[in-house]
Amino acid sequence: MPNPPTHATTAEVTAIDTQARGPLLLLLGSGLVWLVVSGVLALLTSIQLHAPQFLADCPQLTHGRAQALRETAFVYGWLANAGLGLALWILARLGGRPLRGLNWVVAGSLFWNAGVALGLVGIAIGDMTSFGLLQMPRYVQPLLVFAYACMGVSGVLAWSGRREDAMYASQWYAVAAIFLFPWLLIAAQAVLLWMPVRGVVQPIAATWFAQGVWALWLAPLALAVVYYIVPKISGRIIPVYEWASLGFWTLLFIGSWSGGRHLVGGPVPAWIPTMAVVAQSMMLFHYLIILLNLRAIWGVGGTTAAFIRFGFVAYLVFGVAEFIASFRGVAAHTHFTLFNAAIEQLGLYGAISMIFFGGIYFAVPRLTGLAWASASLISGHRWLVLAGVVISIAALGIAGGAQGEGLLDPKVSFPDMFGRMSTPLLINTAAQAVLLSANLLLLVNFLRSACPWTRTAEPTPTLFRAATEEAHAS
Amino acid sequence: MSTPSQPDPRADTAAVSDETLMASHAKLLGQQPDEKGRYRLMPLNLLFIFSGMIFFGGTYLGRFSGYFSPSVFNEYSTGTAVVAAAPLDPVAVGKKLYAIPGGCITCHQPNGAGLPGAFPPLANSEWVTGSEERLIRIALHGLQGPIKVAGADYNSAMPGFGQGSGFNWSDDKIAAVLTYIRQEWGNKAGPIAVDKVTAVRTKEGARSAAWTAADLEKLP
Repeated sequence: MPNPPTHATTAEVTAIDTQARGPLLLLLGSGLVWLVVSGVLALLTSIQLHAPQFLADCPQLTHGRAQALRETAFVYGWLANAGLGLALWILARLGGRPLRGLNWVVAGSLFWNAGVALGLVGIAIGDMTSFGLLQMPRYVQPLLVFAYACMGVSGVLAWSGRREDAMYASQWYAVAAIFLFPWLLIAAQAVLLWMPVRGVVQPIAATWFAQGVWALWLAPLALAVVYYIVPKISGRIIPVYEWASLGFWTLLFIGSWSGGRHLVGGPVPAWIPTMAVVAQSMMLFHYLIILLNLRAIWGVGGTTAAFIRFGFVAYLVFGVAEFIASFRGVAAHTHFTLFNAAIEQLGLYGAISMIFFGGIYFAVPRLTGLAWASASLISGHRWLVLAGVVISIAALGIAGGAQGEGLLDPKVSFPDMFGRMSTPLLINTAAQAVLLSANLLLLVNFLRSACPWTRTAEPTPTLFRAATEEAHAS
Repeated sequence: MSTPSQPDPRADTAAVSDETLMASHAKLLGQQPDEKGRYRLMPLNLLFIFSGMIFFGGTYLGRFSGYFSPSVFNEYSTGTAVVAAAPLDPVAVGKKLYAIPGGCITCHQPNGAGLPGAFPPLANSEWVTGSEERLIRIALHGLQGPIKVAGADYNSAMPGFGQGSGFNWSDDKIAAVLTYIRQEWGNKAGPIAVDKVTAVRTKEGARSAAWTAADLEKLP
């Protein structure tokens, strides 16, 4: 396969970046703030698992609410902001034109963050709903839809007004995520919050939504980032790129069918979990295509590549783990245990977040026009977050295994079971503390890099040339 | 492509521009498969893998889907189990049939006492608690003309309720309503079996004319 000519001398900071600097840095920055908030909450909930009396007297932070707060801050605060920021940036760059509707992005971002903050307050005072990933109270949900639509406008304009007719895989994934999430959110709100369906249809709709958040929103956002950055930093054409569309369509068509596996053993007709198991096995095809396409990340040096590589591997491992855990025989051991929390940590932290970290490390220098402020903060974040993610996944997995065995064995009493789980849970708390400190380092580094007045003292060692129109000449 | 040996961790350089990235990948997709010298096999291996997955999925669905029935909750169900209908209580069924407007209740009244001088009672009636043969025939085909019930004389007409009549009740229904009246209002006679009704109806064939008391008294 021929390699394209490299244009390493092309100016890397274009008018597209300078013009979108403020709004996109706002999105990425607010994402990082929420990441730290959710890190604090993750630490609290992890402590509560081995010390149940911790904060038990504080009704706003009992385990159920703290868990919902953590999840909401993580998904709607961190992943949504960072993912949209990166998706808009990629759409603009691949579209070849500066972003339009940037005021909408700023307004949407402010409304979105206000909505998430209001939602967290609502959860804390007890207005949360009972549906996973849709726990913010009913009254903030329309605001979220509105805010997301505002931010999405810019992405849709960047896509529809692109210079080249041809589309690259990153654009498919980013546009799919921008279009599908509002539809998913509105549909789920309608059938779960505004005109609730009754009985067992409720959990079916709720698991459909939760699976859709992964398969139709977060995974496409992450894949948009990976598909953009891998050829960008490796300089290689994506291997067997002509199969990429097969991976895209399997994710979109089959991905959201597998939500029913969480209802195995529940009061739903047998075909719903069975269909989910089958869908999960068909999804292996998607993961196979991703493996073939994005293996070009191997052997590339640098911070971005390290994060993307980790996220890429975690994404594939997540696919296989979900497939295995969806079978009824396995689910009998893992269902309702912390093993599911380990898989969630693998998917949302190990895969999606690590990919977003890589995207942020790549995008921020281009948006600011300057290199990151501190190399030691980067390396500190990199090693701490790696250690934290790996250890927390392993600890939760081991605790889940012990929990599953204990729950199935009638001879093991509850205190005995928790006794066996306490060591891995303590280790998980340590890992959450490590993750929190890692993300604080990233936030500090981001603030130092993004605020121009903090950079005046140093001899701005930018690697990039100033914005030119050079990139437009082709 | 050319990764620096000592990359600055603070800013990863890009190896290709966005334009090159777009153009080189668009070229791949735009390439005609039968372009001379560039022929690329259909990804047969992918096709095999995907077919294998579909085969697995289809087999798994066939085995564990419970025939997509909304009422099958056990994935090991083979779908052949027939839900047994709960047996009906003939007295309860008969009570409902008795109360159908225009039916028994109109003449014989809710308390089974009839109307003195016009319609005979069912309560404490020797015709009801006595011969099953006669009672079944009355219900099937009707009755007209003079009749003596519980010591009083009556002369009116009752329609038939059996198959072919205006009511067209099945043997089940006839048996149920007769069983009901034979144990209600102080009556203490045994139930009427469905088989017995069927036997009588078969024996009488296509009879549609109402019975008279005189005819019935010839029967056992």
